[in-house]
Amino acid sequence: MSLEAPEPSTHTDVGVTETGLDYDVLESLLGELVIDRETHHNAEAFVVRPDRVADALSVLREEAGFDHCSCVTAQQYEDRYESIYHLKKYDDPTQEVGVVVPTSIHEPKSQSGSGVYRTADWHEREAYDLVGIEYDDHPDLRRILLPETWQGHPLSQNYDQERQQVVPLTEHANPLEEDHRGGTDTMFINIGPHHPATHGVLHLKTTLNGEQVADVESDIGYLHRCEEQICQQGTYRHQIMPYPDRWDYISAGLLNEWAYARAAEDLADIDVPEYAQIIRTMSAELCRIASHLLALGTFAIDVYGDFSAIFMYAFRDREVVQNILEDLTGQRMMFNYFRLGGVAWDLPEPREKFFEKTRDFLDELPTRLEEYHNLVSGNEVLQLRCVDTGILEPEVAKQYGCTGPVARGSGVDYDLRRDDPYGYYDRLDWDVVTEDGCDNYSRVLVRLREVEESAKIIDQCVNLLEEWPEDDRTIQSNVPRTLKPDPDTEIYRAVEGAKGELGIYIRSDGTDTPARFKIRSPCFSNLQALPEMAEGEYVPDLVAALGSLDIVLGEVDR
Amino acid sequence: MIGLLKGMATTMKHALDGSTFTVEYPDDPPEVSPRFRGVHKFSQERCIWCRQCENVCPNDTIQIVMDEQRNGEQYNLHIGQCIYCRLCEEVCPVDAILLTQNFEFTADTKDEFAYNKEQLKNVPWYKDIDPLASREPDRGAWIGDGEGEVDYQ
Amino acid sequence: MSIADTLGSALGLGSLGPLEDFLLSLVGAAFVGTFVLLNTAVAGPWAKRKITAAFTDRVAVNRVGPFGLLIIIADAVRMLSKELIIPDGADRPAFDLAPLVLVASALLGFAVVPMGNGIQLADPEVGLAFLFAVASIASIALVMAGYASNNKYSMLGGLRAVAQNVAYEIPLVVTAMSVVLFTGTLQTSQIVGAQAETLITIAGVSIPSWYAFVNPFAFVLFIVANMAEVGRNPFDVPEAPTEIVAGYQTEYSSVYFVLMYLGEFIHIFLGGAILATVFLGGPAGPVLPGFVWFTIKIWAFFLFTQWARSALPRVRIDQLIEIGWKGLLELSFVNLLLTAIIVGVIV
Repeated sequence: MSLEAPEPSTHTDVGVTETGLDYDVLESLLGELVIDRETHHNAEAFVVRPDRVADALSVLREEAGFDHCSCVTAQQYEDRYESIYHLKKYDDPTQEVGVVVPTSIHEPKSQSGSGVYRTADWHEREAYDLVGIEYDDHPDLRRILLPETWQGHPLSQNYDQERQQVVPLTEHANPLEEDHRGGTDTMFINIGPHHPATHGVLHLKTTLNGEQVADVESDIGYLHRCEEQICQQGTYRHQIMPYPDRWDYISAGLLNEWAYARAAEDLADIDVPEYAQIIRTMSAELCRIASHLLALGTFAIDVYGDFSAIFMYAFRDREVVQNILEDLTGQRMMFNYFRLGGVAWDLPEPREKFFEKTRDFLDELPTRLEEYHNLVSGNEVLQLRCVDTGILEPEVAKQYGCTGPVARGSGVDYDLRRDDPYGYYDRLDWDVVTEDGCDNYSRVLVRLREVEESAKIIDQCVNLLEEWPEDDRTIQSNVPRTLKPDPDTEIYRAVEGAKGELGIYIRSDGTDTPARFKIRSPCFSNLQALPEMAEGEYVPDLVAALGSLDIVLGEVDR
Repeated sequence: MIGLLKGMATTMKHALDGSTFTVEYPDDPPEVSPRFRGVHKFSQERCIWCRQCENVCPNDTIQIVMDEQRNGEQYNLHIGQCIYCRLCEEVCPVDAILLTQNFEFTADTKDEFAYNKEQLKNVPWYKDIDPLASREPDRGAWIGDGEGEVDYQ
Repeated sequence: MSIADTLGSALGLGSLGPLEDFLLSLVGAAFVGTFVLLNTAVAGPWAKRKITAAFTDRVAVNRVGPFGLLIIIADAVRMLSKELIIPDGADRPAFDLAPLVLVASALLGFAVVPMGNGIQLADPEVGLAFLFAVASIASIALVMAGYASNNKYSMLGGLRAVAQNVAYEIPLVVTAMSVVLFTGTLQTSQIVGAQAETLITIAGVSIPSWYAFVNPFAFVLFIVANMAEVGRNPFDVPEAPTEIVAGYQTEYSSVYFVLMYLGEFIHIFLGGAILATVFLGGPAGPVLPGFVWFTIKIWAFFLFTQWARSALPRVRIDQLIEIGWKGLLELSFVNLLLTAIIVGVIV
């Protein structure tokens, strides 16, 4: 061993061949760490002993270049517990690999991966909370979604749903107690769960040093609605689709539906007609515009104060989008428009009117965006406030698994629509927007510019749809009414949601409902990076950073 | 400074042009798209009691009670619990249940939202428009060509 | 001419005895107070909503009475009938006094403001100094409110308020001093009087020598400092709803909240009144009576604060302090120096 600094790793292409990843090479890289191999629908997975998890992960990260831990899924089988680390590369997310860690049913203990991937911290806490796997040398293994006083782990198999959760008053901390965490000169303050700037029921336990943030810890779970469990009880064919709308409920519904549709279609091998793909692409991008506009509006409220001019302008434009979506899907927010194998409805008749309405919106959009640039990005006071505050370095962003506009605002060029193409995106002409500022300002700017790109996509889709031959307008392929994928197939598939990589893990057990349905929420991972951005900054910058993360608590807590 | 002034000019322009985006709702009921999914309407005459809607409903909103001869006795639907996904309408082979565009419903207690079949039958059309015709295009996939007029009363 | 004399001559009384003088002054004070409160009553529940709505393409209060004006009464009833909640551990006398001090300090300021048509309660020789003195009592009220509420957000708000007031009071006064250099007096009526002369005549229209025209640089400085002084955007950090909930007034409810709210609005109007007196010729103006012009001017300042709110983001507390101490203070002293040179050498 030399004492010189190790050379920068050049092995990021281990096992990369022209036809895809060669998993045998990866396996030999891991050597004796691998005790078995599993084939998941999306990638091969290596089974690793529970006490060698960190070793395996760090080999894959350092030597094979898997720098993106997109999700940690935990589940219980009849005979064992299992955690799956879904790894990817930021450069090419189609190169995936899974790390499966089985643990015994009696003593579910496995080594933590949070030392290798910071994002695993929260994911493992969630696994502990809901499934009950304990992670050794995890820095902070507490419940994350459920209250600390909760008894049992709801997604484990012996959980008694009938049992009442009784929490005596003594379990609660006294809110009036003196509290000087981290020294006597600091002040502990609860920002949220009822606070004008937390965009919902987020609770930030903040320690202030003067007005500066010494420490901030997010307390989430106030909006936990058991979405995963709901989906596990619904049938693939019909009953799951209405619920993705309710994860990221601020008008990103179709993007979420696509996440489920993509995973389930790949799992059950369902084709989607091209015509339906174009409709999907168009409507999903409409959703993205609506979602980004809302993000912009709420960010403006956070920074501008209670005067809501920009918020209202953004809402007005979003209203137009929602009207279009209402015409198309029948609902303004809870669309339930996608079906496995297509969409529920063709474009509304008369089609010309629909095209005209969409075109009118697109024609109007540049003027509107000009206005937003005048009001927001061109404003010197806003630049004073937001440039160089809430810094999130690209390497840190990758460590925390940040995706979407948050990552792209840090210069991480990662967009699943281009990197892992689905729908009709790869045949359209558009660009991925990145900004290198890494600050609050860049993240907002990325969203504003993405609206333009989405408009470009919609425009092309409208053109395509307009000229599509009338006899080839198949909106749904033939899908059996009861869908029973083969037993024990597993898949992890992600799409680019409004906030980033929205992934779905499904394991089927041969019935018409999933055995495990896991949602990889982009907001969950993005929110985890908040302390990196906010510590040392002032309270207003904490609020601005939170606003620029654009989290939706419905998706964080699921 | 230029940016500040531009911003102020923009808001002032909005203030002076006098245009508003507000829908003055109760005085001026909004246009609702034909596909909009509102409160259900149910037709006992058309229903064949196949229970498909009950089966497909994602959150057990529909409850059907039948006697031993499989004749329908009750059809209950909790419109306050419903998530308006329209799956019941989608699977119904005979158009017996249809989501109207009516989004106006109020009650003093949640219980009053548990509609029985009579109440479901009496749900009014929004602005007296039966949206079925404009929704027609996609229905062939499920029901084929319908026979005659659809009568909900 | 004091308001007692004005009233006396209006009533046809001759020379006034001390008792008559006292009584008529009381009547005058009641009139001025009512006038100010009437303005805030219109501004708070009604005008502010209407203005906000205009800026945001909405329709605001339009259901109660003509133009929704009766919302003023409806809101008053609503606010006053709410339960007054005093938080546990609040410092009682201070908590109760703060809203009163806030309102009283702002109202007191109007005593020396000449409102035209002989309406001026008192005209002391140190009028301008008195005006600034009472206006800055408000910051004590804010600290009292913040400190006594036993709430961390209130505390932050109170501390922010005092930091801001200290930082912006000095540039405000120093800028006003540059006007005093011109007039050579602190008496408000004489400052107004000095602005009555004609500056220049362009195409038959004579432009009065309002100090806004004489020294526009000082005017802009004064507006900025004044906005910070009354705590409006972009300087509304003591309240900062999205950061520290509502700052010093987080814990105030019911009548106390009304008083706090009222106090803030009176303060905006007082800021407008100071601006009008010092820079805009007080009640002077063509055609319309002076009192009407005075009202127009204070409303114009109110409208301007609302306009600024619509488009300017709130600055951060440290940036605010920096702008105050490192920017405005220097500029105001430069302004004072230049004015002194100009006045001493040229005039």
